[in-house]
Amino acid sequence: MSDESTQVGRVLGSQHSSTSAFRVVLDDDNFLQLDDLVVVRTQVPKAGEVRTYGVVTEAEAVYEGASYESDTHRIAELGIMPAAKVRTAQVQVTRVDPEVWVSPDPGETVERATGDERAKALYVDEMSRPLAIGIGRDELPVHIDLDFFDGRKGGHMSISGISGVATKTSFALFFLRMLSAREHAGLVGEGAANMRVLVFNVKGEDLLWLDRANSRFDDEAREGWAALGVEPTPFPSVAFWAPPKRRSGDVVVPDTGGRFDGIDVFSWTPREFIDDDLMQFCFTDANDAKNQIPFIRERVQTQLKRFAVNVAGRPGAVVLRDPSQTPGARWGAQEVPAGPGEPVIDDLASLVTALEVFLEPEDGSEPDQAWTGRVMPSTVSAFMRRLHAAASRLGHLVRAGESRRIDRGSATVTVVAIQSLHEQGQRFVVGALLNETFREKEETGRRLPLSVIVLDELNKYAPREGSGPLKDMLIDIAQRGRSLGVLLVGAQQTASRVAPEVLENAAIRVSGRLDAAEAERAEYGWMLPSTRARARVLKPGTMVISQPAIPVPLVVTFPFPPWATRKEEVDEAPGPDPFAGLQPPAPPPG
Amino acid sequence: MARIFVEGWDPDYGTPLDQDDALSPAEGSVDTSVETDDWAPIEGGDDGVDRIAFVDGVRRVDARLTLDDPERGPTPGLVGTFAVGAVVWDRETRRSEVADVRIERWAVLAGGSGEQMPAVDLDPGVGTTRAPGDDPNLLMMALHSKMRDAEGECAEALAADCAVVADGPLKKIREHATVGYVKTHRVNYLEAPFSGVIAELAPGQRSPMFTIASDTPYARYSWYLRLAMLQGGHSWTGVVRCETSGRLGRDQATSIADRTAAVLPLVASEPQVDPRAPQNLVPIGALERELRHRMGDRGLVYRTLRHAVMREAS
Repeated sequence: MSDESTQVGRVLGSQHSSTSAFRVVLDDDNFLQLDDLVVVRTQVPKAGEVRTYGVVTEAEAVYEGASYESDTHRIAELGIMPAAKVRTAQVQVTRVDPEVWVSPDPGETVERATGDERAKALYVDEMSRPLAIGIGRDELPVHIDLDFFDGRKGGHMSISGISGVATKTSFALFFLRMLSAREHAGLVGEGAANMRVLVFNVKGEDLLWLDRANSRFDDEAREGWAALGVEPTPFPSVAFWAPPKRRSGDVVVPDTGGRFDGIDVFSWTPREFIDDDLMQFCFTDANDAKNQIPFIRERVQTQLKRFAVNVAGRPGAVVLRDPSQTPGARWGAQEVPAGPGEPVIDDLASLVTALEVFLEPEDGSEPDQAWTGRVMPSTVSAFMRRLHAAASRLGHLVRAGESRRIDRGSATVTVVAIQSLHEQGQRFVVGALLNETFREKEETGRRLPLSVIVLDELNKYAPREGSGPLKDMLIDIAQRGRSLGVLLVGAQQTASRVAPEVLENAAIRVSGRLDAAEAERAEYGWMLPSTRARARVLKPGTMVISQPAIPVPLVVTFPFPPWATRKEEVDEAPGPDPFAGLQPPAPPPG
Repeated sequence: MARIFVEGWDPDYGTPLDQDDALSPAEGSVDTSVETDDWAPIEGGDDGVDRIAFVDGVRRVDARLTLDDPERGPTPGLVGTFAVGAVVWDRETRRSEVADVRIERWAVLAGGSGEQMPAVDLDPGVGTTRAPGDDPNLLMMALHSKMRDAEGECAEALAADCAVVADGPLKKIREHATVGYVKTHRVNYLEAPFSGVIAELAPGQRSPMFTIASDTPYARYSWYLRLAMLQGGHSWTGVVRCETSGRLGRDQATSIADRTAAVLPLVASEPQVDPRAPQNLVPIGALERELRHRMGDRGLVYRTLRHAVMREAS
C-alpha cells in the first residue's frame, strides 16, 4: 500500500502533534497546498497501525537559524549567514482509523492521500449515499452524504456569501442539478423522478434561462462536469412562472423583461385568496406583528370564509353575504347571481372596498364588532391602511377568472419570477407558495417525493428580529420540514441577519466569499480560523462546505454551468439551414 | 585629556579592551619592521577568493563529577560537551552553509587511577580524560584544549580549498594560511608610537604587519584592522587583531592581511543583532548558535549521565 512516491514530508517533531492537528515538515522535492489530503501511519503499541487522515489548512515557510528579521538579507542576499529553508504545512485531522484516538508520531512519514485513502480521509466510505457536490483541489469530486440533506439524518442547506462574487445562487442551482441529475437518480432513490424544486428568482432574470444551453460553456467546464460524472446539459424539466404585467387589461402578459415565451402567468382568484388564508401574507412586515393587527386579521379571515359566496358566471369572484341567510349557515360551493348594485369582489381592491362596509362604514357608524372584535378604532384603521397599501402593491396578483395557480407538479424545477414585484409582493408570493407546499406535505404526511425550496435573501423572509407569519412558517419548515421532505436551500449575504432557528437546522452549510467583519461572527463558528481568513478572498466558483459527516469544512470548486444565466449567454440555435424545409422542424427546447 | 566611553558589548562578555599591562608584550619579541617602517594605515585589498570558511567551537559543562577515593578523599571532575565546525561562505553563489560539525563529550577527572566513565546512552558517547591537577580551572582547560585541538583539525582540513578564518588566536602554527581572529585585546603588542596608527584606522584598513615571537617556533604575523566605526565609539572601537603563521612567506602574509582588511568588514555584525558587535562576525554568531543547538539538550544529557552512573552503581 505504501508508495514511496506519495511521501511529501514528515510529522514535525519540535511541536506537539495532537489528535486534532499536526504539522508536516515538507521534503525538499515535494509540496503541499491548502486543501490537500494527507495520511500518516502510526504504529501504536498494543493497538497496531493507526492511520491519521487530515486536510492541509495552512502552508508556511521560514529560514531556520534566522533570529532577526534583518537576517533574511544576510542569508538570502549577502549569503554570509547559514540557514535552512524549512517549509511546513498545518494539517487538521479529519479522521483516525481505526478509532484509536492517538496523535500521529513525530517524524512519521506523511503521504498524500489518494485513491481509497482519499475516500477514507473524506469519509466517502462511510457515507451511505455520497452525492458529488464540488471538485477538490486534486480535481476529483468531493461528496456530501445525501442522508444529511434529504431528511434521513438531517436536512436543509444554508448558503452564505457577499453578492456578486459569492455565487450563492449559482451554487444552489449547481447543487440542484446534481440532485436532479439522471446519473444520480439511484442515489436520490425512490421518488427521484417526482422530486419537485421550487426556485424563486428574486434579482435580475438570471434564472429564466435554466432550460437553455450556455454559449460560453467551454472545454474546461466540460472537464469539470466529467469529473463529477454528470452530463452537462441545461435543466431538462423546468417550468417558468411570472406575475401578470400591471394594467395589461384583459390580455394577460408575464411581467418579465427578457423572456416571454414559455413563461406562464400566475395569480390567485379572490376565492383562492380567501380559502387559502392568503391575507396573512399581506401582513409580513416586522411591524405588522405589533399591536393587535394579527388579531383583527384572523377575525377578518374567518369572517371572509363564512361570508364569501361564489358568483354565478364569474369564476373565482365572490360576493359577501351573511351566512345566516342560507340553511345550515354555510354557503359551501353554492353559486348565487350577484344582486343589483351588490359589489362583486373580483380583485384585491374590490375586496378591500367590500371590507370597508364592515370595518370603516362610510356613514361614520361603529364598525361591525363581528368583524373587528373589540380592538381599538385606531387598530382598525391601521389594518385598513395596510390592506389599501397591499392592494396597490400586489393587487394585480389577485384577479377573478380562470385559475392561474402555480402548478408545482408540471416540471421538476419550478422557477417563480418575483423580481419585478414590490418587496411586499415578493413576500406575499413566497408566503403563499411555501404555505401551499408545506400544507400539502403535512396532509400526506409522507417524506417522499422530496420538495426542495430555494430561497435567496432569506434575511428578508426570516429576519433575526421581529416576527410574522412568513418567518414563523420558515422556522416551522426548518424545524419540521426535514421529516416531511420539505427541504430549504436558503441563501443570504449575512447569516447574522437570519433567524437563528432557520440557520441552526441546516445540516449542510456552505459559504462563498464573506465580508471580513461578517466572517468573524459566531454564525460562522463551523469554519476553522484559517478557513475564515480564506473566506474573505475566495474566488467566484469556490465554496467552503461543512457537513455533519466530516469534522472539518472543505473547500471545493464547482464548474461553470451548461445552462445560460442571462439572455446574452443563451446559445441561439444556428441560423436557418437552406435545406431546413427538407426536415421536420426541431421541437422547441424545454 | 582622555575621554570616557561606554562599551558597546554586553557587559557579560567583558570588553574588547581587556588590556593587562603586566602581560604586555606577552611572548617573545615584537618586530614592527617586518612589513614597513613607515607606520600608517594600509588600505585592504580583496583578492576575490571565492570560499571563506569561518571555524569556531563552543563548549559547556553538562555535569560536575566527584570521584570518591577511599584513600585520597573526594576529587573533582566534570563532564563537558564541545562542538566545533565551520560556516563555509561561497561568495560566488552567495550562500553560506554549516560544514564539518564535530561533537565530543568528555569526562575530565582530576585524580584517580584508571577509572572510566560508564557507558552512557548518548550519541556521541562520553570519553574519559585526566587533568594534571584538581584546580577547577584545570578541568575546564582540559576540555577547552580538546576543543581547540578539534578546531585546529577542522581548520586544517578546510584550508585545502578555502581561506580559513578561525576564531581566537592560532594554537598550532603550521604552514597553512589559516587566519586567527582575535576579538579581545588582552595583550598590548604595540607601544607608542606604533600603537597610534590603530586610532587612525578607517573601516577596511589595517595596520602594517608585525611579527610576534619571531625567534620561536610560535612565530606569527599579526596586524590590526577595523571592521566598523560605531556611533559614539572610541579610537579602538571595532578593531580586531588577526594573525597567521610565521612560516609563510612575507608576500603571502601580506595578501592575506590585505584580504582580511577588505573582506571581514563585510561580515561584521551590527549592534542591534549581536551583543558583541561588530567583532562577533555574522557567520561565527550563526555557527555558534547552530553548534550550541547540535550539542543537544543539556538537561537531557545531565539526566542520561545520572542514569548511567546510577545503573553502574546498582
